[in-house]
Amino acid sequence: MRNFLTIIFSLVGVFAISQNKQILYGFDDIPQSLMLNPGSKVLQKKHYGIPFLSQIHVNGGSSGVSVYDIFKDGNDDINDRITQKIFEMKNTDFFTATQQLELINFGWRAKNEIYFSAGIYQEFDFIAYFPRDLAILAWEGNRDYLDYEFDFGEISTTGDFMTVYHFGLNKQIGKKLTVGARLKLYSSMFSYRSVKNSGTFVTRLGNENSENIYEHTVQNADVTVETSGYASLRDLDGAGQVTSEILGRAFFGGNIGLGVDVGFNYEINDAWALSASALDVGAIFHSKDVENYRAHGTYTLDGINLIFPALSDGESTFPYYSDLEDEVEREIPIDTLHNGYTQFRPVKFNVGLSYGFGRFNATGACDCLNVGGENLRKQNIGLQFYSIFRPKKPQMAGTLFYHRRFTEYLSAKATYTVDSYSFSNIGLGVSADIGKVNFYIAADNLIKYSNLAKAKSVSLQLGFNIIIDEE
Amino acid sequence: MNKALSSFIFMVFACLFFAACIKDTNFDQAEDIALTPVVELDLIYFNLQAGRFFDTINSTQILTVRDTTEIRFLDDSTLQESLKRAEFHFIFTNSIPRDFQVDFQFLSELNDTTYVAATSVAEGTVATPVITEFTENVEGEGILSLTQAHKVVVSVTIPSSNENLEGTLNLKSKTTYFLEY
Repeated sequence: MRNFLTIIFSLVGVFAISQNKQILYGFDDIPQSLMLNPGSKVLQKKHYGIPFLSQIHVNGGSSGVSVYDIFKDGNDDINDRITQKIFEMKNTDFFTATQQLELINFGWRAKNEIYFSAGIYQEFDFIAYFPRDLAILAWEGNRDYLDYEFDFGEISTTGDFMTVYHFGLNKQIGKKLTVGARLKLYSSMFSYRSVKNSGTFVTRLGNENSENIYEHTVQNADVTVETSGYASLRDLDGAGQVTSEILGRAFFGGNIGLGVDVGFNYEINDAWALSASALDVGAIFHSKDVENYRAHGTYTLDGINLIFPALSDGESTFPYYSDLEDEVEREIPIDTLHNGYTQFRPVKFNVGLSYGFGRFNATGACDCLNVGGENLRKQNIGLQFYSIFRPKKPQMAGTLFYHRRFTEYLSAKATYTVDSYSFSNIGLGVSADIGKVNFYIAADNLIKYSNLAKAKSVSLQLGFNIIIDEE
Repeated sequence: MNKALSSFIFMVFACLFFAACIKDTNFDQAEDIALTPVVELDLIYFNLQAGRFFDTINSTQILTVRDTTEIRFLDDSTLQESLKRAEFHFIFTNSIPRDFQVDFQFLSELNDTTYVAATSVAEGTVATPVITEFTENVEGEGILSLTQAHKVVVSVTIPSSNENLEGTLNLKSKTTYFLEY
């Protein structure tokens, strides 16, 4: 248990926020911005992501607690700090971790002016809400919580590990509007979820008529854990076999899902532009290698009732303990089921409104990036909104940004984001073209980099592409 | 200017990444993390009628009655490591006009005695039952013995009885487990 806690609290620090890539969104100089809005403006003619290096994204966070809160150097007892945090945090606080690795990403503008893009990336996505009641029960026990109903409904967690194959189209329609869509095929390698649980556990002091001193009652429990890709791993021998089995599923060996991304960019006038996208509108259909566990029922435990039967020599008394175990199993059975389930992907929405000013003219002589005669602005400021659907409720974030093109080869974007984690999240992204090689890096929560332990979330994306500009 | 600016931005990033650190923290404290839940749990209960102490067929007294139950969770290895103290609390309600001697004998799986506890229960009457409470606190060496136990034998001894004896001896009990993980 202690090790488990250490791991949980350490993860909080190492990982960082929930899939929000506020810096990359609308950052048209980086080809990967197409992954956040398939309808964004595409400036280049072709791009090739450098395999395995075109996007590395790690992102994680915890809304209620930072590593520093727990592990700070001080004279007070670490257990007091944990106790304080457990009581401070709410059951809507959460821990998340997301990681993405692009294996392949490329795109090209066809003769019909459609920009095609395609690729493969691997994704890991995890969220667990803080089960406050159960944490209190584990941390403190039930002695000081007589009559308090511990809520099983607070258990809410999902985890997915998958490969995504995608193919997108992007086209400018008229002068002002660019639209795009991306089809995604998900190949799930491993997945679990435990959501929509219910029931309570309570210890009440009995009265004169009660059988025993207390009544320990599990009331209307219904707790489910659904897994896919887990049952077959259990029988495997060693890490090597497990790894090769999981990797085998990356190529459609596991459960398959389907989804789309859609988006647009609309230039309202010379200065203003509006964009929006919906990502991962889809689901994974888990039918193979599914194993679900469900515990449900109501039961009151009173202890063991001794009967004192009159026994002859050699006769043994009732098997009270086994009978009690059987009774519990009968009243709150744990069923193992194999029925498939559909896991909706966490849909993400992005909306951006930007105001551009200052005409971008890198060399003064030739308006190189602007062959279509459009306005490419030197500076943009604006607002972004992001939301992602999560089991309990959507998480949202609002961002103010400033984007600037310094030269034809260098542009940067700074962001200020307000979200579930903090009100002081400053991010910075830079895209640099060195020859045909584009390098970008984006990180948020920069203020906390001086001491990451204090950060409740960190997000980082970086990658390399080869970009071939319009001639 | 542009070159200067670009180098400046890269410098900023470089600094951030090299400067990024985790400080003022002490992860050795993880060693000190201890869950210390205090769990209250019902143990055994019974209702012994006075008639149980007299054999009407043979017209003989039955001075001691016994029953046994397994308590398998006690010698579980996890509990053995984490149990720091256990406090048994027994509440007897006696409406039989006799006092009683009650013995709790904890046995291992191989029937070796690992721990014993005993108490006497005051006599009552059917009209006014008498309550006797008894607390057995187990810690230190006692915990080692107690957590070897796999079952408990409860013996109830009456000094004398007859066929007209009336009333009930009721027991309710719980244990408070002081755990540390």
